[in-house]
Amino acid sequence: MSPVQSALAILLLPLASAAVIALFFRKQGALASWISTATAGAIAVLSLQLIFGGERFTASMEWLRFGDFSLSLGFKFDDLAALMLFVVSFVGFLIHVFSLGYMHDDAARARFFGGLSVFMFSMLGIALADNLFMIFIFWELVGFSSWLLINHWHEKQSAADASKKAFIVNRVGDFGFLLGIVMCYWANGTVDLSELAKLGDAHALVFSAAIPLLLFCGAMGKSAQMPLHVWLPDAMEGPTPVSALIHAATMVAAGIYMLCRVNMLMVPEALTVIMWIGTATALYAALCAVTQRDIKKVLAYSTLSQLGYMVAAFGLGSNRIHVAGCSFGDKMGFEIAVAAGVGAAMFHLTTHAFFKALLFLGSGSVIMGCHHEQDIFKMGGLWKKMPLTFLTFTIGVLAIIGLPGFAGFFSKDAILYLAMEKNTAVFAVLALTAVLTAFYMVRMWKITFFGEARSEEAKHAHESGLSLTIPLVVLAVLAVVGGYAGVYGKLAGGIAELVPEAEGSAHTTILLVSLAVMTIGTVSALLFYPATGADALEKKSSVIFSGFVALKESFDSVYDYYVAKIQQRFAMVLNFLEQVFLAGLIIRGAAGFIGLIGIGARALHVGSLHAYVYWFLLGAALLWAYAAGVF
Amino acid sequence: MSLELLKAAADSNQWWALAPEVMLACAALALLVLELVLPRAEHHKIPLFAIAAQAIVLVGVFLNFDTNWLGESTFGGLIRHSNWGQIARVFFVLSSLLVCFLATVCLPRTRMPRVEFYHTVLVVTAAMMLLAQSDHFVMFFVALETVTVGLYILVSYFRDNPLTLEAGLKYLVMGALSSAIMLFGIVLLYGAVGRVEGANGAIHTGFEFGTAAAFLQAHPDNFLAVAGALLVLSGVAFKIGAFPFQIWVPDVYQGAPTPVTAFLAVSSKAAGFAVLLLLVRNVFAPLQSVLVPVLSLMAGATILFGNLSALTQRNAKRLMGLSGISHAGYLLLGVIASFTVPWAGGAVWFYLFTYLLATMAVFGVMAYCTGENDADHELDTYDRLSRDRPFLAAVLAIGLGSLAGIPPLAGFLGKLILFIAAFQAHLYTLLAVAIVGVVLSIYYYFGWIKAAFFESWRPAFSTETATAAPRTTPSLFGTLTLALLAVATVVLGFFPGPLTSWLIGK
Repeated sequence: MSPVQSALAILLLPLASAAVIALFFRKQGALASWISTATAGAIAVLSLQLIFGGERFTASMEWLRFGDFSLSLGFKFDDLAALMLFVVSFVGFLIHVFSLGYMHDDAARARFFGGLSVFMFSMLGIALADNLFMIFIFWELVGFSSWLLINHWHEKQSAADASKKAFIVNRVGDFGFLLGIVMCYWANGTVDLSELAKLGDAHALVFSAAIPLLLFCGAMGKSAQMPLHVWLPDAMEGPTPVSALIHAATMVAAGIYMLCRVNMLMVPEALTVIMWIGTATALYAALCAVTQRDIKKVLAYSTLSQLGYMVAAFGLGSNRIHVAGCSFGDKMGFEIAVAAGVGAAMFHLTTHAFFKALLFLGSGSVIMGCHHEQDIFKMGGLWKKMPLTFLTFTIGVLAIIGLPGFAGFFSKDAILYLAMEKNTAVFAVLALTAVLTAFYMVRMWKITFFGEARSEEAKHAHESGLSLTIPLVVLAVLAVVGGYAGVYGKLAGGIAELVPEAEGSAHTTILLVSLAVMTIGTVSALLFYPATGADALEKKSSVIFSGFVALKESFDSVYDYYVAKIQQRFAMVLNFLEQVFLAGLIIRGAAGFIGLIGIGARALHVGSLHAYVYWFLLGAALLWAYAAGVF
Repeated sequence: MSLELLKAAADSNQWWALAPEVMLACAALALLVLELVLPRAEHHKIPLFAIAAQAIVLVGVFLNFDTNWLGESTFGGLIRHSNWGQIARVFFVLSSLLVCFLATVCLPRTRMPRVEFYHTVLVVTAAMMLLAQSDHFVMFFVALETVTVGLYILVSYFRDNPLTLEAGLKYLVMGALSSAIMLFGIVLLYGAVGRVEGANGAIHTGFEFGTAAAFLQAHPDNFLAVAGALLVLSGVAFKIGAFPFQIWVPDVYQGAPTPVTAFLAVSSKAAGFAVLLLLVRNVFAPLQSVLVPVLSLMAGATILFGNLSALTQRNAKRLMGLSGISHAGYLLLGVIASFTVPWAGGAVWFYLFTYLLATMAVFGVMAYCTGENDADHELDTYDRLSRDRPFLAAVLAIGLGSLAGIPPLAGFLGKLILFIAAFQAHLYTLLAVAIVGVVLSIYYYFGWIKAAFFESWRPAFSTETATAAPRTTPSLFGTLTLALLAVATVVLGFFPGPLTSWLIGK
């Protein structure tokens, strides 16, 4: 198979799987789940072959053309796409395997796996797309499949609400995204990524802060950046594998990936905004995570916080810093500087996909073991009962808090180094966030796994089956080794070289800082939280606790106020006008009127040949009269 | 045609230029011979021969699409070969192939002779192909009459059915009237132009498109010529069913056998548009200031009339006829646009191709949903179709959806491209009318889909047992053909690229 063909196969296989499941196997859950998983496996194999085959290509075909406006569909398979493809297909496959066990007793299994296949199709489409219109199409498909999967247990009101919220909030972001695409087309005459890059090299791009910022709106929705982050914690209502796949490893990363795709359009002002939004999200989410009781919510806020890291890293990339492996010296242009951000963001995206998927799947295993109990204060003592889950989860925690040697350490260091070089304020906030990250992760880890079992469910916890633990082990291995550039080889290609690395004294400083923040966070959490059934922070300082809770609630209450008090009332007025004027007068009235005309027009066909002939002659006479200039 | 002309034609052997038409005519004759030669038990194979022959012609035209004759004029200026002519050849053969397929479904239900039907269809198709390439009013009229006379026969083919006979009579009278008016127009043009002496002493007359065009260019306000042109156009308007010459459409469509209705709806209408594009581009282009307002009024009235009268229609064949009128209106938009936007002609052809696919799919389903009396074809016949024959219902939905212009089906793109052409030609008012028309059309097309997919309410106490609607299960060949039409409609909606670049690029 040629590379283009295998890329096409990778893209279309999950669509075929979804179609087959939807058309024929809606009732046969077991069969559907195996079809979907086998497809995911095939995709993983094909993608590895494609990625390590080393071939990088672009291919496109024209889809629509009117005059000189044309739309094309195509692949742009460069190092960036290869990395994203690896993350999506590989993590996606592991999560399919995990779902086989996790969703085994679900009544609507076929729909779930069909949804997973649709999601894989949409996500792979984003990864491979070669132009912004195509990205947008798959972007919307991702939104749809995310809605489908969050809504899987739709009989639960909270799940239905959460899926609706996710969909609507994403729409808000996508509106900006679409405007950005239109504006990019208007300004530059193309939305093809390769052509944009070519224009960028020739310094022929029309730069404006509006285009990247509008495009960033799309990323803000998908990657849940402030203020559009509110949907992600609620989306935890979906089944845990969905949370792992969509809301930790792949979909939320799509925003970061898209930013990296359009980095040639970036201007310094836009980057500054992006940087600060990412930083604020990182800190805000970390603060929220400290008070959460639900194991998945802790992970959700931690995901928000890490996404904030990635966005901030992208925004920071505009700094002129030395990029290892680049020999441009002092002539480093703007493009190269952005690339450092791309490298750091994509590096963290990859390692985060590994350890966060690991943590989510671990939490899924814990939840399953505890018979669907999600409150960490009702768990406890699980390390003995679920040793493998404990071990892998611990690796995940170590990776996220950045213990030297683990994947998270390297990628977080790269970002912190970038921040230190560029902007001290951002550096301080991100360092504080790192402290908080270690703090809340260790808190959760300790309360979940240690102490006495604090509920009936936790007492009868048991280790999960093989289909749950194998993905955990594989991901744990990746969470350990995922930080070493050597692992990637051909995979990351040029991207690996873009990751900024500290040297000399900077290297020592950054190492010390990251060790310090990790130790402070870990030790204080270990000391502060006893593994008991009550939140120590709530007991000891209810002011701070309620402050954090209020912080978490603040966005939702502002939105609620806006929707209930402003938008709803406005909508009611419009509804009244619609009922009276549109539906009543115009629609009903017009329909009746037109119906009457229709009956009249029909009545002209009397069936009499005489009448028809007169019609005809009348027509000819009218034309004659027109020619004679009567009218 | 004088002897010298024939001799000249024989010398340069220009008959090769007409190979597709000649092959079709030979095939038509061969059908009759086959009927004589073959034993009666083998007669059911004759339609297959007709279909195979057309398939060969279709492939042949495709393979020789860029012949050396392109741009040439043959037979002493009677025929001019052009890309549009080639496209028209492909279109008409494809359409008559599908008509023959419909006939294989419908004809066996009656006691009528079969072979003559295919024979006539082939002859009419060959004449249509000539019509679309004519460059001379005599050729034009003779070809048109061949088409029309053939259609007189076909429309009244089920002569044991009174409704069919009535339709045949109406079509005959109206057709003869329109031919007369058109001929009068041609004569007026001829008279106005007179005899023109050419460069090297050759005598030209107003019959030649080029000479007539040159005359009109020089005298754009000659009353006789303008009147002649308008009368010629009224004859064409009869073919396409444009207002105010649309009045025959519903009665004839209802009475004609279903395959013939499809033939009228697709081939005959397309022939009208092929001719209209030809005339507007080659002969009447200088009359733009006169023709644009006339055609615009015609288009607007046609769209509104077709859609409004279809709104309350419950007979499926009349509905197809009336909605077909509105399609003619949209297509007129493209013709008007082609005065100023060069690629609009391609847009008209693209629309015709999408219309062919969708219409043939719908008529295919109709052919399987009628009994012996196919004039009596109410929408209620489709009750519970989706439950009894889900495949037919799906094909019907795709066909009707495409006719209504629902994305992502091909019909949507056809309308979109046509409307873009109209927009570029600044026909804003007409565009607004057309969009209103499209909205109206969704009502009746979806009424039909609703009849097929949702059960109509019946009172529970009704003692009247619902008479089982006559339905036939499609043969394998029929299933494949219908599936192909439906798939093509969907695929063309997603990937119009190849077809549009083929049509609009030319």
